[in-house]
Amino acid sequence: MIKEEITIKNKHGIHTRPATVIVETASNFESEIFLTYNGEKSNAKSIMGILILAVEPGATVELETSGSDEKEAMKQMLHIIKNNFFME
Amino acid sequence: MTEYLTVEKLFNENGKNLQLEIINSKIGFERKINVPKVDRPGLELTGFWKYFKKERMPIFGIKEKTYLDTLSLERIEIIFEKFFQEGIPCAIFAHKIKLPDIVAELANKYKITLFETQMLTSDLIHFLLDYLRWQLAPRLNVHGTLVDVYGVGLLITGRSGIGKSEIALDLIERGHRLISDDSVRIIKRSDNVLIGAGHELLGHHLEIRGIGIINIAKMYGVRGIRKRKRIEVQVELDDWKSGGKYERVGSKEVYKNILGVPVPNIQLPIFPGKNITVICETIALNQMLKTFGNNSAQEFEKMLELQIQQKLKLKKINNYLETDFE
Repeated sequence: MIKEEITIKNKHGIHTRPATVIVETASNFESEIFLTYNGEKSNAKSIMGILILAVEPGATVELETSGSDEKEAMKQMLHIIKNNFFME
Repeated sequence: MTEYLTVEKLFNENGKNLQLEIINSKIGFERKINVPKVDRPGLELTGFWKYFKKERMPIFGIKEKTYLDTLSLERIEIIFEKFFQEGIPCAIFAHKIKLPDIVAELANKYKITLFETQMLTSDLIHFLLDYLRWQLAPRLNVHGTLVDVYGVGLLITGRSGIGKSEIALDLIERGHRLISDDSVRIIKRSDNVLIGAGHELLGHHLEIRGIGIINIAKMYGVRGIRKRKRIEVQVELDDWKSGGKYERVGSKEVYKNILGVPVPNIQLPIFPGKNITVICETIALNQMLKTFGNNSAQEFEKMLELQIQQKLKLKKINNYLETDFE
């Protein structure tokens, strides 16, 4: 299991479109991927789970991956967040 | 996960029904309550502090007040100074008992809020404990869908995209009620009770692949929704594997632990064309029967055993008669 903390930097936080990107990316991996914010832990493959976290810009979230492809999954997840979900 | 509660939250959510009034000021509102326990500080007043627990808020009733009345002002000051120094979250005075002004002054010095209420001490403790236990109960977010089917709480889990939301929609269409889709907050109510609830923001929304997010509360009205439900069975959806081992008789019940509470667990293989909705209804009805003491599988097994034994008996008699040449 790998854990990483990362800050959300895009303008409007994790609204529906970034959430879609997260879910689509996470769904490509076998590993279990979780996003934790404010003590709430959500499955990164569930759109509703991600949306209810209502992450605002500037917030720090914790990513957790565990499974056969956890390293690659973490790398990809960090990549999309660092690039502001390829939106701005 | 809530691991503590602030005095502010306690006051905001219970101020009215517990008739709480602030004696001194809101100075100690950010203090934390970590344990679902309260304290009747009888022995501490007499000077016995060996078992004092500073995390518990003390509740003073008429008994404490009557004892305090027998003490000198200096002694009262010493006692309350000790209470506040230890760092209690807050203190409540039931029956609207009046204390010397020095107590409120000391509380201000140590930044602790004091409340008074007209409620009886035992009623107050009862309500307070119930609230604290609920707020501080162990909780967990689960990726799954919770539906009330015939009054039985079915927690449907399974990999992302297996069709949990679609099953929920089908069940709602048939008159059952949705608690939460995709993310269920599970709260351990007591040693053997788990309560599932939705998320405030999520409400009663469903995500259906291809359509997107829909609002069940608006589409189906109050009939189709519910706020909380006890979780009674977990249905784990699984992709059908031809070599997979699935329950065929069901006379032995399988339990899986959630937050330390054993929950009946059903592994359900799915494949196209299988009507999971009807199976979910059957699971709920079967669970109801089990609760009332009827286990279909076990009863069937018993009947079968009886039949076999009767046949055996008959065989013995026949054997005896056949060899019976007088």
